[in-house]
Amino acid sequence: MSGPVLDVRDVRKSYGDLEVLHGISLTIGHGEQVAVVGPSGSGKSTLLHIVGTLDRPTSGTVVVDDRDTSEMSEAELAGLRSHRIGFVFQSFHLLDGVSATDNVAQGLLYRGVRRHERTHRAREALRRVGLGHRLEHDPRLMSGGERQRVAIARALLNRPAIVFADEPTGNLDSRSGAEVLALLGELHAQGTTVVVITHEHEVAAAMQRRVEIRDGLVHADSLASVAGGLR
Amino acid sequence: MSRLRSRVRLVDQARVSGVALRSRKVRSVLSALGIAIGVATVVSVLGISRSSQADLLDQLDELGTNLLQAESGEGFGLGDDTTLPDTAAAGVRNIAPVQSVAMVTELGESVLRSSLADPDQTQGISLRAAEASTLDALAGTMAEGRFLDDAIGAYPTAVLGAVAAERLGLTEVDGRTSVWIGGRSWLVVGIMDELPLAPDLDRSVLVGYAAAEAYVEDDLAPTRLYVRADADVVDDVASVLAAQANPEAPENVDVSRPSDALEAKAAAEDAFTSLFLGLGAVALVVGAVGTANVMVMSVLERRGEIGLRRALGATRGHIRVQFLVEAVLLSVGGGVLGVLGGAGVTRGYTVWNEQPYALPAAAVGYGLLAAVGIGVLAGVYPAARAARLSPTEALRSG
Repeated sequence: MSGPVLDVRDVRKSYGDLEVLHGISLTIGHGEQVAVVGPSGSGKSTLLHIVGTLDRPTSGTVVVDDRDTSEMSEAELAGLRSHRIGFVFQSFHLLDGVSATDNVAQGLLYRGVRRHERTHRAREALRRVGLGHRLEHDPRLMSGGERQRVAIARALLNRPAIVFADEPTGNLDSRSGAEVLALLGELHAQGTTVVVITHEHEVAAAMQRRVEIRDGLVHADSLASVAGGLR
Repeated sequence: MSRLRSRVRLVDQARVSGVALRSRKVRSVLSALGIAIGVATVVSVLGISRSSQADLLDQLDELGTNLLQAESGEGFGLGDDTTLPDTAAAGVRNIAPVQSVAMVTELGESVLRSSLADPDQTQGISLRAAEASTLDALAGTMAEGRFLDDAIGAYPTAVLGAVAAERLGLTEVDGRTSVWIGGRSWLVVGIMDELPLAPDLDRSVLVGYAAAEAYVEDDLAPTRLYVRADADVVDDVASVLAAQANPEAPENVDVSRPSDALEAKAAAEDAFTSLFLGLGAVALVVGAVGTANVMVMSVLERRGEIGLRRALGATRGHIRVQFLVEAVLLSVGGGVLGVLGGAGVTRGYTVWNEQPYALPAAAVGYGLLAAVGIGVLAGVYPAARAARLSPTEALRSG
């Protein structure tokens, strides 16, 4: 496990004749906190789906946690996601009518972990994100910030090698957004590798490293500018 | 490097499906109801039919299937003489396996409530002379009073069939009740219960042979014989009955077995059962279409959830099983409800009709089996659609 957590090599993605990603290369190491920024339509959501193994590139390779995903079957990709990858979505994707604990516990469902242990770890995760007092609440009765924290707890439950967050503050007011950002900062401090996709500058500014995508290409990378000569 | 695999424990898979149904209670109950109605129809139709049959078979058991009836036929060129010879009963008694014979003669006189009644208004009630052994031969019972016997059969006394009593407006026998026959009053000594083996006697008034001869008419050649024979040779007795009753013209004797009519009734109910089962099947198909519809809607609405589960590591197979199990749970829930409902309906029907309660295990089994089958059928297509959805497509819609 000495290599980077995520190694993207010359990834292209086309829909019919339309090429959305024109050859993106990106390497993210353990414990990094990265913002992928870019205007809407720049291809950053497509990139997130591909590096998250939810979609396959037309060409190029994606290596997650030293595993080359281009040679994996659909079922193997699902296995990789269930063990090594966590997701946070703009619209939370929580199950209505199901308690916060059970929502978070879904994060271990597809690893065959027993219910008792899932629940135990879900409670622990909720306490970690500061929702120890909301364990049995229905997410419909929670504020947006709380709901996103539930989603983050769910993403952390399988102790992923990397967490992808797609516009995690996009549906939140600025106070809740700040709350979520602070939480992501804490996670980074504890060593979790986080990639945040965003078009908001305040979010990007809060991250350790910024990668700017424009027109399907890496336009700028703050790491490259710091460590310029290395590439 | 170790292979990473997604796997879900079976109980968890069932739990996920169950939670999904629980969080959409109204919709789940309504779509299960469709199936419940179909299953309830099937179960209650089978239950009621089985209970009715059990009732008829009980009746047959009680009444016995060894009764034969010999009647003067209405063949060609017989003129008005529709009686058996006077020697008929004696001839039949000569058949060894015959246990008993009871003779009945149809009389022309009408039966009136009183001397003031219009003699043309007979209300379809006929007068018959009957031997004292008739009641036992027909395995009949008395609702009121007693049957004719040799002692009172010589006097103007009468026994009423159940329908005849009702038409005459008589419900009890108090020693003064009388009817008007042939210009004189006859004391009513008893009212019979219905006779399942001889429904025409229900509409008759019976008098003793001695009294009939003394007060009505003297030609009392029998018009019908009731014959009880040993049960295992009933068919053999039936084949020689005509010749023994009327050796000169056996072709003029109609021989029948009254219990056949009851058996035919049981068979006829079978035909009805098939018809209603057909209706139940239609209800089940409608229920299945309803469930499939609900499941398709559910898949469309829950694209976000499907995308999330794929992101959490669910394979296409996991998604397929989740929706399939949901459909089966929904349908089996409806099935259980339907079996309970059907059993309840059957129970109510049998209590209402004072029949024995019998619910065939096959009805319960078929009902539940049908529910599982419908669940699978209704779930296959929606589950395939859910599984086919790509994660990116599913997440975009959320």
